[in-house]
Amino acid sequence: MTFRKLALLNVLRNKRVYAAHFLSSAFSVMIFFTYALLLFHPQLQGQLESTSAAISRLASMGMTLSQILIFIFSFLFLMYSVGSYLKTRTKEFGVLIMHGLSPKQQKSMVFTENMLIGLISVAAGIAAGLVFSKLILLISADLLAIESGLRFYLPLKAILLTAGIYIVLFLLISRFTAGTLTKRDPLALLQAEDRPKAEPKASRPLALLALILMLTGYGLVFYFASDRDFSFIVLLLGVACTVIGSYFLFAQLSVWAIGKFKSKPSVFFKRTNLITLSELAYRVKDNATMLFMVAIVSAVAFTGIGTTMALRSPGLTEMSNPYAFSYTSLPGNEQEEEQVRLIGSELEADGFEYKMGSFSIKYTEEGSALARLSDYNGLAAALGYPEERLANDNQALGVATTLTQKANIEHGRRTPPTLRIVTGERDSILDMQKYIPHIIVPYDTGGNPLVIVTDEVFDRIPLQEWETGEERSFVFRVSDWEQTRDAANRIQAQLPYTDEAKYRLDRPLVLQWLESIQRNGLILIFSVLVGIVFFTFAASFLYLRLFTDLERDRRHYRMIGRVGLSRKELGGIMTRQLAFMFFLPILLAFVHSTMAFIALQMLVEFSVFGNAVILFAVFALVQIVYFLIARWRYVDHILRTKPGT
Amino acid sequence: MEVLQVKQLNKVYKGKISHEALSDIDLTIQKGETVAVMGPSGSGKTTLLNVISTIDSPTLGEVKIDGQQPHLLEAEELAMFRRRKLGFVFQFFNLLNTLTVAENMALPLALDGVNPGEIMQRVEQMAGKLGISSILNNRTYEISGGQAQRTAVGRALIHRPSLLLADEPTGNLDSKAARDVMELLTRLNQEEGTTLMLVTHDAMAASYCDRVVFIKDGKLYNEINAGENRAVFYQNILDVLSLLGGHRHDFS
Repeated sequence: MTFRKLALLNVLRNKRVYAAHFLSSAFSVMIFFTYALLLFHPQLQGQLESTSAAISRLASMGMTLSQILIFIFSFLFLMYSVGSYLKTRTKEFGVLIMHGLSPKQQKSMVFTENMLIGLISVAAGIAAGLVFSKLILLISADLLAIESGLRFYLPLKAILLTAGIYIVLFLLISRFTAGTLTKRDPLALLQAEDRPKAEPKASRPLALLALILMLTGYGLVFYFASDRDFSFIVLLLGVACTVIGSYFLFAQLSVWAIGKFKSKPSVFFKRTNLITLSELAYRVKDNATMLFMVAIVSAVAFTGIGTTMALRSPGLTEMSNPYAFSYTSLPGNEQEEEQVRLIGSELEADGFEYKMGSFSIKYTEEGSALARLSDYNGLAAALGYPEERLANDNQALGVATTLTQKANIEHGRRTPPTLRIVTGERDSILDMQKYIPHIIVPYDTGGNPLVIVTDEVFDRIPLQEWETGEERSFVFRVSDWEQTRDAANRIQAQLPYTDEAKYRLDRPLVLQWLESIQRNGLILIFSVLVGIVFFTFAASFLYLRLFTDLERDRRHYRMIGRVGLSRKELGGIMTRQLAFMFFLPILLAFVHSTMAFIALQMLVEFSVFGNAVILFAVFALVQIVYFLIARWRYVDHILRTKPGT
Repeated sequence: MEVLQVKQLNKVYKGKISHEALSDIDLTIQKGETVAVMGPSGSGKTTLLNVISTIDSPTLGEVKIDGQQPHLLEAEELAMFRRRKLGFVFQFFNLLNTLTVAENMALPLALDGVNPGEIMQRVEQMAGKLGISSILNNRTYEISGGQAQRTAVGRALIHRPSLLLADEPTGNLDSKAARDVMELLTRLNQEEGTTLMLVTHDAMAASYCDRVVFIKDGKLYNEINAGENRAVFYQNILDVLSLLGGHRHDFS
C-alpha cells in the first residue's frame, strides 16, 4: 500500500459523506453540458439566426451568462462542500499527523482526493448529460416552438468544453483547499469534536428589525410596481431590505422565537420539547448563514422561473396589440376591398370568427394624432368596450396607444384637461372629456395619447403637404388568435411586402407571439436550468451540513437514548429539527417569490398565479422527497448500533 | 543509552487563570525500558505525555528523544521525526475507519514511502506476533475492542520506533483484553528493541512495567521499580497510590 493509494481509499470508502458532494458536482457538470449541447447545436444556430440577428445574439449572450453563473456557483458550492467534508475529518488528520503525515503530504492527499472526485464527477456528469440529451433536445424543440424538432448529434465540442472547464475548476478547488488547510497542532485536531459551545443568544431589537426590514422591502417592491416609474434604485433598495431582513430572520428572529418558547415552562417541559427546542436553537444559530443562503438562492430561482414562465403567456403579446391582423391600405390602392376580404376569407376558411374595425389617423400642425369618433366606436365594439359620445365639436377623448401611455393615464400623468390644435387656418381648444386607459387603436402616437374627435372635426382637417390621401387601417380581432398560425402564413404569402405595394400588412400577432416564445423559450430554458442548479445546490448544502456533524450527533443521541428515550422519540426529535431546517428556508423563499409575483401581477393584465402555483407545487414536492430521503438516511445512521460498542 | 531525556520541563497554560500543569519535571528513560506514569486526575500526566509526543510544546525546559530536540524542528522535519522515531497507542484506538486492519498497520510505513512489497511483509509478520492475522482485511468497525487495540499496537510498532508512547492503552478495554494488550506491549517492546512510556490509571497495567513514576500537581512525587514478583509490585503501586491521596476508587 502506498500513500497515494491511501488517499484513494479514503474517498472510495467514504462514499456516504462524499455522495452529496459528488452528486451535486456531477449534476452541475450535467447542466453545464446541457447548455453546451444547445449552444453548439447546428440546427438551433440556423433557426435562431434566421429569426433575427439581435435575438440570436441575445440568446448566445444569455447562454454564456448562464454558463458563467453556473460556473461561479459551482465553484462556491464545491468550495463549501469540500470545506465541510474536510471538517468532518479533523480527527482523522490529527491521527495521520501524529503518525508523521507531513504538511506536504497532507496537501498532496487533499489535492489527490479532490481531483479524483472531480474527474469522476466530470465523467459521470457528461455521461448522464449524453444519456438525457435526446430528451433534452425534444423538450427544447417544444419550448422553442421548433416544429421540425432538434435532431440528435454527437456533441464533441460540448463534451470538450464541459470537460475542459470543469477540470480547470476542480484543479482550482483542489489547489485552493489544499493551500488553506489549517495549521493547527494535532492535539487541537484530536479534541476538536469535544469542545462545549456557548448558548445561542438573540437580541430582541434585531429580531424585530428582521420583520421591519422584510416588510419595508416588500413595500418598496410594491411601490416600484404600482408607480410604474420603474426607478431602479427603489427596486434595488426593496430587494436589499428583503435580503438583509431574511438574514436577520434566521440569525436573530428564529433564535429569539425559540428562546421565547424555551422560557414558557408549559411548552418547554412538555415531553421531548426540552431536547428538540434546545438543540434547535444551536442548529439554527450554527447554520443561520447557510439557511439564509438556501432561502435566497431558492427565492431567486423561483422568481426567475416564474417570471420567464409568464413571458411565454400569449396575454403578454396581446397586451400591447389586441388584434390578430392589422392591414393598412395606402392612398390610391385599388385592391383595398379585395385585400380586406382576402384576410377575412382566409380566417373563415380555417373556421375562425372575427370582428373587424377600421380607422384613419390625421396629424395636426403641432403634432397631435387625431382619429374619428365613429372609427373609435367601431373598434371599441369589436373589443367589447362601451361606446363613447361627444356632445359637440369642441369635445374630445384621449386614448392610450402604448403601454407607457396607458400607465400614464392610469396615474393621471400627461393628461391635460384641454388641448390646443392648429389645423390649417383654424386654431381651436379641445375640451378633453376623459382619457381611456385601454389600447384600442394599436397605432403608436408617441408620447401623447391619440385624440378622438367628432367625425366633422376630423373631416375638416386638411391633409399635410406630404400626404397624397387618407391611409386606412383595418384590424381583425380573433378571440383564439393563438391558433391562426396557418392562416397567418397564407395571408402573409398573398400580401407580401414590396416597394411598389400600396398596402402594409403588419406581422400577424400569432407570428409575433411565436417569435417571442422562441426568444423567451431560450430564456426559460436558461432560467429553469439555472434555477434547478441553484435549488439542487441549496438542498445539497443542507444535506452536507447534516452529515458534517453526523459523528457528533450520533454520540449525542446515543447519550440521550441512555437517559431513557425510545427510538421512536429520538426519531421524532430529529424529524422535527430536520423539518425545520428543510422547510423554513423554502417557505420563506415561497413568501418572497409570491411577493415578487404579486408585484409582477400589477404590471401585466393576465394572471401569473396559475404558473406560480404549479411552480411552488413542483418544488415543494421535490423538497419533501428530498427531506424524506435525508431524514431516512440521517435517522438510520444515527440510530444504527455499531458492532463492538 | 538514554532514549528520552526530559530536563526541567515546565508547562503553563495561559488564559484568564494561568495554570501551571507541569513544573520542573526531570525524567530519563533508558533504551529498552518500560515506564508507566501514574497520578490522579489533573496531575499533569497526560500533559507530560502530550509534550513528549510532540503534539504539545513545553513552556520551559527541554525534551530530547534519541538525542534530538523535536520541538525545535521545522514542520516537515517534525513529520519525518514522528513517522520514524515515535509510535502511539491511544485509549480510543484512533484507527482510521476508512482503512482495513492491515492498512491501518501499514500507515507509518506508507507515509514514509516504503515499497509496497516490504510493507505487506512487515504487516504480515507483525500481525502474526499480535495474533490478528485472520482479520487483516476486516474494516475497523468489524472487530472487537481488544482486536482494535492490537491493531493500534501493531501500527505503533511496525516502523520500529525509538520510543513508543501509550495513553491509557487499557482504558477502554475489559480486564482480560487489558492484560493481553499489556503482555503484548511489554513482550514486543523487548523483541523489537523499543522503549515504552505509558500513562495510565490502571495499577494492573502499570505493574507490567519496569518502573512506575508518580506525578502529583504537576511535580514528580515518587518512583518505584519492579522486583521479581509482579503481584508484589502491583501491591506496592497500590500503596503509593493510596499515599498519593484520594481514594483507591480514583485509580481503578
